[in-house]
Parts: sequence; structure tokens; C-alpha cells
Amino acid sequence: MSRERDTSNPYAPFQKRIRVAAFLISAAILIVLLRLWALQILEGERMLLLSLNNRLRLRPVEAPRGLILDRNGELMVENLASFDLYATPEDMPDVEETTRRLAEILQSSPDELRQRISQRQGSQFEPVLLRKGVDERTVTAIEEQKIDLPGVSLRVKPVRAYPKGGSAATLLGYVTEVSHAQIKSKEFRDFRPGETMGQAGVERRYDAFIRGVDGGEQVEVDALGKVSRLIQRVEPQSGFNLHLTLDNRLQRIAEESFQGRSGALIAIHPSTGEILAMVSQPSYDPNQFSQRMTPEQWRTLASNPHHPMQNKGLQAQYAPGSIFKLVTALAALEKGAITPETKFTCNGTFSLGSNLFHDWKQGGHGTLNLQQAIANSCNIYFYNTALKTGIEEITRVARELGLGAPSELGLGDEAKGIIPKQNHTRGSGGWYPGNTVMAGIGQGMVTVTPMQAVMMVSAIANGGTLYRPWVVRKVETLDRELIEEYGPELVRKVNIDPDNLAIVREGMQAVVNEGTGGRAKIPGLRVAGKTGTAQVVQNGGPQRSDQRDHAWFVAFAPVDDPQIAIAVVVEHGGFGGQVAAPIAKSLLEAWFKLPKEPGSVQTAEPEPGEGD
Amino acid sequence: MLIDRRILSTFDWRLAASAAGLAAMSVLIIYSTSGMHSSLLRRSLYLKQASWMVMGLFAMILLCRFHYRTTWRLAYSIYGALLAALLLTALIGRAGMGAQRWLSIGSFAFQPSEFMKLSLIILLARYFEDHKDDLGAPRTFILPILLTLLPAALVLRQPDLGTAIMLLLITTGILVVMGLKIRYFVLLGVAGSAIAPVLWRFLHDYQKNRILVLVNPDMDPMGVGYQVAQSKIAVGSGGLIGKGWMAATQSQLNFLPANHTDFIFAAQAEQWGFIGSLGLLLVYAYLISKGLRLAKDAHDLFTMVTSFGIASMMAWQVVINIGMVTGIMPVVGIPLPLLSYGGSSMLMNMLAVGLLLNIHKHRYLY
Repeated sequence: MSRERDTSNPYAPFQKRIRVAAFLISAAILIVLLRLWALQILEGERMLLLSLNNRLRLRPVEAPRGLILDRNGELMVENLASFDLYATPEDMPDVEETTRRLAEILQSSPDELRQRISQRQGSQFEPVLLRKGVDERTVTAIEEQKIDLPGVSLRVKPVRAYPKGGSAATLLGYVTEVSHAQIKSKEFRDFRPGETMGQAGVERRYDAFIRGVDGGEQVEVDALGKVSRLIQRVEPQSGFNLHLTLDNRLQRIAEESFQGRSGALIAIHPSTGEILAMVSQPSYDPNQFSQRMTPEQWRTLASNPHHPMQNKGLQAQYAPGSIFKLVTALAALEKGAITPETKFTCNGTFSLGSNLFHDWKQGGHGTLNLQQAIANSCNIYFYNTALKTGIEEITRVARELGLGAPSELGLGDEAKGIIPKQNHTRGSGGWYPGNTVMAGIGQGMVTVTPMQAVMMVSAIANGGTLYRPWVVRKVETLDRELIEEYGPELVRKVNIDPDNLAIVREGMQAVVNEGTGGRAKIPGLRVAGKTGTAQVVQNGGPQRSDQRDHAWFVAFAPVDDPQIAIAVVVEHGGFGGQVAAPIAKSLLEAWFKLPKEPGSVQTAEPEPGEGD
Repeated sequence: MLIDRRILSTFDWRLAASAAGLAAMSVLIIYSTSGMHSSLLRRSLYLKQASWMVMGLFAMILLCRFHYRTTWRLAYSIYGALLAALLLTALIGRAGMGAQRWLSIGSFAFQPSEFMKLSLIILLARYFEDHKDDLGAPRTFILPILLTLLPAALVLRQPDLGTAIMLLLITTGILVVMGLKIRYFVLLGVAGSAIAPVLWRFLHDYQKNRILVLVNPDMDPMGVGYQVAQSKIAVGSGGLIGKGWMAATQSQLNFLPANHTDFIFAAQAEQWGFIGSLGLLLVYAYLISKGLRLAKDAHDLFTMVTSFGIASMMAWQVVINIGMVTGIMPVVGIPLPLLSYGGSSMLMNMLAVGLLLNIHKHRYLY
């Protein structure tokens, strides 16, 4: 077009303005295009990530924990399918009617269910947990009436189950969801809310092996959180199985032999340290923790004066009473303060300065040598011996034998016990010979745990080797592939003359055969033991049942080739020979009768020994 | 039907194909976004859109049969009828999504405000042709402004801020091309600013929020903020080549509200990425440039204003819609021509393209 024609064109001014408008429109479209470039090309990856976060959810699928089996492969802890009941409000056309029907099945009030539904957090597509672990009857009823219960669903998940109930509960421990407080701590930073973990005992100590690896489902959700499809499922990996050193048959017998009394029992193999049985009474049912425990249930458990949650074998400290005389005897022999032939005369009392100490037997035992003194648990003999030996050597021998230090079994907080030194006194009164006299018979300030007592007995039984107690033999995968195997762990060879240990062992044999431990006597089996009666209230008086002395008995058998060592304490049981020794006996009988060595032990009525 | 061979040979197939292509794309996108939706109603939307597309194409071709001068004749009547329809809408209109925008005739519901956009263009075209000798006088521009404000006020009352703004923008563009001096716009702008606080008070809260959210995108994260944020994620996550048809998770999983109406561009951008967006913009650019070219080459003011009006209306809608979807403009509820779901919008835009086709076809015929 020529300039002349342009100027003659009456529309020229409009056309000029249209060209300007076209330019402005082009610029605007270019701006939009640049914006798209920025969003889709420059920020594309970030936006893609945001869109993935928007729509993808990971739902954990809990891994079943590994099984726990006893030394013979018997199942101690397993997993059961638990049915949790959920309601999805969005899928309930008539909430009133559905909750009414559901309440009938659950035998609860519809209002309670409606309240739970209304208290939900998150979207209405999110199922609300109505009840955890519903029973089989409810599951069946819900399945039957499914068509009338729209929006009601059951989800299955593995929960920890303890088929033996409270048996070995404090040893095995229990499993719960991690608490808010735990999640906040550094140790549990890898846990997510709602995840379960072992909270005590073996379940806690070996949690890393048992827990397995949770799987997960990657699901696509829409803007309302409703799952639209499953994208990927990673199967959970079951935890490893644990094979314990424990013998469940022995454990059961040991528990039954307590007949409802409080106390503890530990049986170990003296030459390896394997724990064969570990009883803490009363016990609790760890199954309670697998389901949601009601506050009432928890209060009952926590306020029980007999402390069912405590593993008394490791965590309770008792005055050892006369079982400590074994230490005193060894210390005296080590120091040369006495010989096996050294005799002291017991007329029932022992005076030291202005103090008068008594024997447990009125009128005394007469004149005895060491073996007789051990057999009859003569206090006067050991007052004299302790005094001649001195507290230093007693302390040294006690510590050599594992007293006064935790066993390091690793199952929860363990008590240390108290083995006094000369400068170790309560208050500021200093150490007096009277303290040594009391310590010599396991009273005063001496305390031990049942675990320490059984370690002591084991070391005496096996000729002077202290083994660390252990409870897990091996860790295996589901396919029985070995992951970890454990064996005896030497703590130390005790610095005690083996001949002296032999002397004490003979004394312990005499305890059972002719002394205070007669109730542990088993014909055909050479049993060695030591009774103990630990004063709870000084100078007794009329004792209430909760103030009676603690009854102790430590034993091993057979004497020549010890296969089992036992420590029993019955809280407020009274005399050790009367109460604790029969428990040990029933355990020894059982151990040697159990199928591995059929018919090796004959049962017979023991001749009862008296007193301490 | 008697077909003038010259008409056939001068029919702009590319223009018609562009419009038909956009409408077909609309059906595809709506199908993809509603495919996973559980509600039957939502699932059938693409079928409705497809039928509107067919109706629109039919209307577009039908419009070519008449000489555009017919519209010139009917300009005032159509405007009057639509103004009456807008009044009627205010009185007996069907309400939906918080607004009263639809007029039902039997089972058919239409949105007069959509058609008012095209009607206003034709009206102004006729008006300025009628007053082509008075264009130097500022008073010539008073009536067009009033004729715009009247429907704009009715539309704003529905409330439909987007369409009201569109009516004002369409008129503004035409007034500029018709030679209203810039100083008058400055004057109008000053007057507008002066009454802005008053107008602001008449806006609904959500409308205010939509404007405020532009300044502060985080102010309403679960409302408009959410919509824009999700829309930006949808557009951005499409990347260079997009996630593919039916694979646009943001829009398919309903994270993106209004993914078939005002935010349909985001659903498109998510599926076909930057390449698809660029392609779409090129088609729009072609449509707009076609209108501008027809305006520039016009031999009478009526076709010039009509062509320019349609081109500028398309341009405003495209720029504002994509601008709001990508977060650089406030969310004012302006549909994307020929792409957003909606019968009235589809028909109106098809008619607009039909008018361009008509003008193109008759450009050498008098």
C-alpha cells in the first residue's frame, strides 16, 4: 500500500489504532507465554513434586513381629490377626440407623458411636476407628449383616499375642504403640506415631531384631483424601524369630509352684549362664497391652502393691539372709581364718561388746565344724567366722561371685544390690564389728538380687567360673536362616581357691541331705543347696503376713556335674527351708524328668528339714 | 440451498477449523477431568459440551448464510431483548453456585450475560457506523458508555464480576479505536478511581478476596488461594510435554476446583504441557489476529468495530483467563473462549467466530 493511498483512506486513523491494539495484544499474549514458560519449564520439576505430594499418600503396613520360641521350639509369643472396626461417614447414607444396628452388635450405645464418628479429624472419607480388637463373635455378626451396615468396615492387623498369658511376662515384656514422649526423644526419632515397639523385657531388648520392616501402600488420593487407586504395595518383612534359652515346661512348673505367692525364681545352666526359667510373681498378662488398655486396667496394674510389672529377678533387692553364709565361709577359707575343721560352739547367743546376737535355733546347735554349720545354717558359727575374716575379704569374695553388680543381662534396669565395704555405712556411725557380724549372715545392709544369687551359686557349682546370664540362643529368619547366635560369655574366673569352693559345695550337699534344706532332697539326685531366711522387720514380734521374713533357697544339681542352678525367693514366705526349698525341689524334679533325659530322676517324698 | 461459488471459495476454512478444533479440545479435556469423577452428573458433562459444540458449529455455519448486515439491522433489537433477559434473570433467573445468571426456557437454560458481550459489540458497531461523522465529538461516546454500564450493572448484580469487567473492557477497546481521546480515558480513570472505594463496598467478600489474593497469594490458602495454588501446580507440573491425556492427576483427582470451567486451561496445561499450551495460544493468536486483520482491512465501520470487538473480546478473555490460572491476574471468573464448559459461552463464541467468517466471506462482496 502506498503512502498516498493511506492518506486518502478514511479508515487510516482507525487502522493505526488497531495496529497499536494488535501490538498490545501480542505483548499481553507474550507475557502469558512467558509466564507459562516460567511455570512449566523453569518451575516444572518443583511443581511436579508438589503435585505428587498432593495426590500420593504412603500408608504403612505394619510388619508382623518375629516369633519368640523357647529352647525346645515351643511358641511363647506370636502374632494374631486383630480386627479393628471402622466407620466411613461419607459411605453411611443413614448414620442414625447404621449406628443403631452396630450398637446392637457391639452391645454399646448408639450415642457413643455417633459421638466417635462426629469427633473425627480429617475428611469424612477418612475411616474413623470405632473399636480396636473386636472379638470373633462381633466379626461374624458384622460380616453377616454387612449389607445393612454401609460404611462399616473391618481392618485386619497383626497384634502381639502371648499364648501363655502371664507366663514369663516380665522376661518377655510387652508391646505397645510408642508414646508421644518417646517419639520426642532422640532414641525413638525413627519411629512414627502409632508404630508399635517392645516396651520391656526381651521384646524391648531385641526389638531391632523382632520388629521387622514395615511395608507400605502407595495410594493415590483425591482432593478429599479418598483413595482412588493403589499404586504400589511394598510387602512388609516379618521380624526375625528369637529362640530363647528358656524352657517353657520348666517355666510353667516354676510358676505353678509359687501357688500365688510373691517372689522370684531364676534357674540357669551353671556351665553356660543360659537362663532356663525366670519367674517373677505375681505377673501380668501382656496381652492386655496389645489391645487398647483402659485407664482402669492400667490403674489396677500400676497400683498393685505386689508390683506385677517388676521383674523381681533383676529389679528387686533382698537381704540374702543365710544364703550369704556361703560367701562368708568362702571368704574365711580364703583368708585362712578357719579351716573346714574349725569348730565353734553355738549355745544360741553371741555377744559382742554390749550387743547380744542370736541364733535362729533357741538353745543353739552345740559344737559344729564348717560343713555342719553350713548344713544347719548356724548363725553363731558365722558370727565368729565373719568376725575372724573381716568385712574386706567377705566383700572381695562376694564381688568375685557377682554380688553387688548388675548381671548385665540387658533386660531393663537392673538393681545392683549392696555389698558393704568397711567404709560403707549408713549414717555417720562408722563401721563396727557388729556390722561385720550381721553382714556375715546376710543381714544388715547386704542386699542381692535373685539373679546375683543364682550367678553366685552357679560359680560355686561349676568350680569358679562366672558366666554372664543370657536368654536368647539364636536369631533366625522365617526361613530359619541364622542371623545371630549367642553362646556363653565369661565374666571372669573367680579368684577363689577351687578347693575352698569344693568345701562349700560339700557343705551345700549337707544342707539338703542332713540340714535345713531337706525339703529339696531328691532321692537318686545329688542336690546341693542353701536355705535363707531374710529378716524384713528387725526382732520380729508377732508378724503379719506382709512382715514375715523372705524365704530363700539356692541350689544346684547334680553336684558332680551341675546341670541347673536355682535361686528362689518367696517374699514374706517365712523360713527358706520350708517355703523356698520345696519350690526348688519341684523344679529340679521336673528338670531331670523332662523328656531330654527321660527317667533320670525318681520322685520321692523328701525328709523335711527344720528351720532356716 | 443456493450456494454462491464465490462464497465457498472465500470461506475461511482455517478460521472455522480453529474454532472447531478448540471446541473439540474442550470436549476432550472435560472428558478427561470428569472421567474419574464419581458423580454421574459430572461424568456426562463432556457429552453436554459435545452437543453444545455441535450446536455451536451449526449456529456458526448458519450465521454464514446471512449477510452480516442482518445483524446490523437487528443490533438494537438483540441488545434490547438481551437487556430484558438480564432484567428477567435478575427477577426469575435460576440460581446456581451462589449466583443468579441463568434464564430457563423449558429445560434449556442460557446465560444472557454471555450473549450480551457479542450483542454489545454489534450494537457499538452499528452505533459508531451510524455516528461516523460525529466521532470527533466527545458526546458521541456518552451513549455507548451508558449502553455498556446498563448491562454491566445488571451482570455485576448477579453477581458476575468477570462478565461485567468484560463488557467494560470490550467497550473501552472499541472507544479507543473509535478515537476517544486518551485524556478522556484518564478522566474516566480518575473518576473510576474516585468511585472505586464506593464500588469496593458493593463487591461481595469473595470478590474482594479474589482481588486481594493477587497481592497476597497466601491470604486465603483454602479458598481462592487454594484454587490458584492448585492451578499453578497443575499447570507447572505439566512441564514441557505434559502428563498425557487422562493422566492429569491434579485435575482428575479434583485437587483443582472448576477444572472444567474457568480453570480448564490448567487441566489442559497439565495434560499437554508447555507444548500444548503454546499450541493452544497459537490457535487463539490466529483467531485474534484474524479478527484484527479483518478490522484493519474493513471497508465500513460496522465490520471494523465488529471484527475488532470480537478480536479484543477473545484477547481479553484469553489473557485474563490464562493470567488468572497462572496466578498473575486476579480470579475474576472469565471463561476461556470455546474451551471452558458452558453452553452459552460455547454458542456465543461460535457465533462470534461465525460473524468473523461472515465478514471474511463478504469482504469482497457488497
